[in-house]
Amino acid sequence: MEPLIRTVDLKKYFRVYGGMLHAVDGVDVVINQGQTLGVVGESGCGKSTLGRLVLRLLEPTGGQIFFEGKDIMAYDRKDMKQVRQQMQIIFQDPFSSLNPRMPVFDLIAEPLVMNRIYKTKAELTTKIYELMEMVGLADRYINTFPHEMDGGRRQRVGVARALALNPKFIVCDEPVSALDVSIQAQILNLLMDLQDELDLTYMFITHDLSVVKHISDEIGVMYLGQCVERANSKELFANPLHPYTKALLSAIPVPRLRKDVRHQIIRGELSDPIEPEPGCRFANRCDFCQEGCTGTNIPLKDQGNGHWVSCTLYQ
Amino acid sequence: MAELTQTQELRENQDVLLEINNLTVVYKSDEEIVHAVNGISFQVGVKETIGLVGETGAGKTTTALSIMRLLPERTGFIEGGEILYNGMDLVTKPQNEMRMIRGSLISMIFQDPMTSLNPIMTVGDQIYESLEIHNTDNKTRQQLDERVNELLTLVGIQPRRKKEFPHQFSGGMKQRIVIAIALACEPQLLIADEPTTALDVTIQAQVLDLMRELKEKLDTSMIMITHDLGVVAETCDKVAIMYAGEIVERGSVEDIFEGKQHHPYTEGLFGAIPNLEEETDRLSPIDGLMPNPTDLPSGCKFHPRCKYCMDICREQVPPVYLEDGHMIACHLVVKED
Repeated sequence: MEPLIRTVDLKKYFRVYGGMLHAVDGVDVVINQGQTLGVVGESGCGKSTLGRLVLRLLEPTGGQIFFEGKDIMAYDRKDMKQVRQQMQIIFQDPFSSLNPRMPVFDLIAEPLVMNRIYKTKAELTTKIYELMEMVGLADRYINTFPHEMDGGRRQRVGVARALALNPKFIVCDEPVSALDVSIQAQILNLLMDLQDELDLTYMFITHDLSVVKHISDEIGVMYLGQCVERANSKELFANPLHPYTKALLSAIPVPRLRKDVRHQIIRGELSDPIEPEPGCRFANRCDFCQEGCTGTNIPLKDQGNGHWVSCTLYQ
Repeated sequence: MAELTQTQELRENQDVLLEINNLTVVYKSDEEIVHAVNGISFQVGVKETIGLVGETGAGKTTTALSIMRLLPERTGFIEGGEILYNGMDLVTKPQNEMRMIRGSLISMIFQDPMTSLNPIMTVGDQIYESLEIHNTDNKTRQQLDERVNELLTLVGIQPRRKKEFPHQFSGGMKQRIVIAIALACEPQLLIADEPTTALDVTIQAQVLDLMRELKEKLDTSMIMITHDLGVVAETCDKVAIMYAGEIVERGSVEDIFEGKQHHPYTEGLFGAIPNLEEETDRLSPIDGLMPNPTDLPSGCKFHPRCKYCMDICREQVPPVYLEDGHMIACHLVVKED
């Protein structure tokens, strides 16, 4: 079966002072209908850029994107507008992603009006109430402005906007990072319920590993623009292979007393994404760095069970 | 097993560095009064780390700012209670005396290292500044300079970088510099307000490790403000869970993480975090939202969101249940006795 979203060697370079910044460097994404792909990584690893590239909100420097088997890179503006109804995004910060001068009604109506879905105001109003109910917003909020609501409700408006056009695919770009834990759980449950109900496909971008484990079927770990490991969610947490993934998992503070366990702490910080040398980009922080790690790029290699890793230890 | 008043209970322990009794803080504006902290009591022992845990608006940062007496001048007021530091009450101290205490005896690490450093001063000068202000032994310029180098080495930054400006450092390194400034005068009490919230997990692990190491080396007591129960489990000796300006549960880390009885809010907090070690299909969030601090609910502040809410919860402020230093303020727990 053709996956809903497939990218081949997707690249995005930004021209900056000092050369080309390799934000996303040859990433292959495959997401099947009804599944969730979690994308994790630290700030600056290119995960948000990847999310925008997949929707073609940013023009890729190279590579191909297939949506339902069709190459959307070949689409012109008009075709793109059509296909965008099928693919939506929920942004990280519900405080800055909603127009402060629009009440909830206008905010949710915007995508419907833009695409001229309904001919009469009555139809539009019915649809908006329906959407508000779907995301758990009470009717009385229809005329409130974003600043009058708390973060959780604002994010619900963001979800309603994304759902307005009945999309098949939604990119969730850190949708719960700005929220408190108790509210975060409410939004995560909502997203999972909606997925079951509407057979949605998600690409879930986050830096929070416990959230990603909870919601994803498959997980891709990114480091400096590249995918270093990809596996089924359970498999990745049970059996991480790449040294970066191992360090990342060990760095999470677990809310449980375990005085004896010491973290495996990685030295240093992200290296420069501007004109990187070929080879493993984690090499300078890696304890297992050996000959062959630098100089040539290391491809992702299948370790069985759909577990892919790009590391010289497993070639 | 007894219901003592909070002050009686507090007196039982010795070696107390900081003792807060019944602290009440409000923010006043023309139209309304925000009840940010409502009569909290806790104490910090020598060399001890206490975690203040709660969500946005629980009053954690207000508590910290009250201890430092850094509440906004025209709007924030300490309405009642005392903050005893080594026996002296900080609430009544005039600002000029407070200025000598801040930075030398008590210092604070702020949440966001990107905004808490001065962007147009070199990092060396910023560390030097706090040493110079508290230079009571009349050290020479050269001695202070050496101390700056020493501090930078301590937090793992090469001293040759002291002539650089904050924007030339990464987030984790900036937080190390903030820590160096806070530790410059070897304070007895360090208040860390969400020190790692703005950092990535791998950098967070580095910074937490550094703080733990320095705390052992310098025998500092610490108040760790955070919303991350994982950070608490790794760094704290005692924990106080705050909700709507009150401490709803307090105890040792063992009590909070492994104890049998909990406040429903604490239970809710644990249920809302996805668990890495076990499979869960659904999270159990706490229904509803934080109460409006200008109009707090009657009785137990948590009752509108509590799944065990009883009639008595709506009317009466819950009594304090106490067993071996584990405090829970809930009708449910007291009733079960």
